[in-house]
Amino acid sequence: MSSPINKKVLEHLAELARIELTEKEQEKFLEELESVLGYFEELKTVDTSKVLPLSGGTSSLNIFREDSERENTNQGQGKKDFPSDEKGFLKVPPVF
Amino acid sequence: MTTPLRELTIKKVQEGLLKGEFKALELVQTFFEHIQTRDPEIHAFLSLDQEGAAREAEAVDLKIARNEPLSPLAGIPFAIKDNILIKGLPATAASKILEDYVASYDAFVIQKLKEQNAVFLGKTNMDEFAMGASTENSAYGATKNPHDLERVPGGSSGGSAAAVAAHMAVAALGSDTGGSIRQPAAFTGTVGLKTTYGSVSRSGLIALASSLDQIGPIAKSVEDAAIIFNAIRGKDPLDATSTDGNYGEELLNPDFEKIKELKVGLPKEYFEGGLAPEIQSGIELALQKIKSLGLKTQEISLPHSKYGVSSYYIILPAEASANLARFDGVRYGSPKTEKTLRDLYFETRGHGFGSEPKRRIILGTFVLSSGYYDAYYEKAQRVRALIKNDFEQAFKNVDVILAPVTPTAAFKFGENSDPLSMYLADIFTIPANLAGIPALSLPTEKNPPAGGLPVGFQIIGKAFKEADILGLGQFYEKLTTN
Repeated sequence: MSSPINKKVLEHLAELARIELTEKEQEKFLEELESVLGYFEELKTVDTSKVLPLSGGTSSLNIFREDSERENTNQGQGKKDFPSDEKGFLKVPPVF
Repeated sequence: MTTPLRELTIKKVQEGLLKGEFKALELVQTFFEHIQTRDPEIHAFLSLDQEGAAREAEAVDLKIARNEPLSPLAGIPFAIKDNILIKGLPATAASKILEDYVASYDAFVIQKLKEQNAVFLGKTNMDEFAMGASTENSAYGATKNPHDLERVPGGSSGGSAAAVAAHMAVAALGSDTGGSIRQPAAFTGTVGLKTTYGSVSRSGLIALASSLDQIGPIAKSVEDAAIIFNAIRGKDPLDATSTDGNYGEELLNPDFEKIKELKVGLPKEYFEGGLAPEIQSGIELALQKIKSLGLKTQEISLPHSKYGVSSYYIILPAEASANLARFDGVRYGSPKTEKTLRDLYFETRGHGFGSEPKRRIILGTFVLSSGYYDAYYEKAQRVRALIKNDFEQAFKNVDVILAPVTPTAAFKFGENSDPLSMYLADIFTIPANLAGIPALSLPTEKNPPAGGLPVGFQIIGKAFKEADILGLGQFYEKLTTN
């Protein structure tokens, strides 16, 4: 079977993941991902028709905590590590 | 201080403190002196906190002077993996993207250790965002194995394991997503516990794969691992998957007469070739010793474990690609405000992440993308269910399972340079994460043979039955220390 991943797909994935890849990285990743996806082919031989997908590490359901007021003690703590702030707000490039 | 650092376990430190053989501050200073001599060649630590450690040690000395009761971990010098947050200290997860990040709160496990007056010497090296099995993926340079400087200490908690193995800390915390505590423990001759999913809160752990990650101890003895596990476990409102579990007195004080009654399962698929000679003979030795303790063994089958690596390396990148979306140059990283948001994202992530995080984010994005979700992600989750079912079936007949930790002993730097061969290094540790059950890695012998490397073996237990595997581990240790 031909690999589902090619240069065009990789570029699209990098775009979705917002990651800049150099030409060299693209070449290397393409080769490595093909080999990893090739290894995953073994899963096709497993009969999984009788089980449901297991999504989590726990079978606990509906864990709630009391909806109560609590004091937030670390507000503004991250600010000193932030390069730019104004009037107590963190300054970032325009989002819209 | 006259007691050699290598001999210090948790109980010995406490004895020394209470008998007045040394002061907590003196102990901390001795550890920092040792770190200054030894760590330049090992590189287990990414940052140290001499001031904070001294302050905490003085508080412990004051308690002793006032005859106040001491908690079991008071004054114990710890090394903490750099993906676990300690308020006011750096937490880089060994990534350039978090180079300037300082934690603004304590992880739940750190709160628990602080309540006991534990001392934090520093933060330890790891594979970037815990992605790797050798610490070669750290953005700040690899850690070396104290037993052989040409070899890796394992990973991703390689710095924590090396710090304990080189006596630069009495104990350490690591995190285990697919073997990241157990494999470095096996490579460095230390004890590592992967805890039951949900037994220890993940709040304050920089998330890799949320359905698999667990924090646990790396220590010099099984007894120490048990003491630490008991201190850090428990329900935390900030991690909805965490629970108190039903742990009793036997967690800390195992009844060896009852341990003798445990039935040990030997999964035939884990012994069918592929094991290096030193592992094969190590496991045989461990099995003989366990039999000599009077335990019964039985062959079992875990037929789907062999698909663990495939299932894991689909599920993990999928979850990681979502978890690492927050490292975007705005919430974390250093935003250059003159840029457009789009450029900022691409540049920060392109330059801030190393190869392995990039590779896994891309792979995760792929397996979750339209058209491939069913074939990869959903298929992997179904296989995960089969792997879990295998363990449930097996545990109807046996109480614990004995298995190798790794296919080989510690390998040399650069030996597993292609990603797939590195992924296969996790083949025996991944199934416990996928199934959410606890597993202990401990050395087959107290000291490796002269010129040889440490070999570890694994005892896997039922969910929330850490007492079984830690009890058997302590029983085994009695044999090896006598």
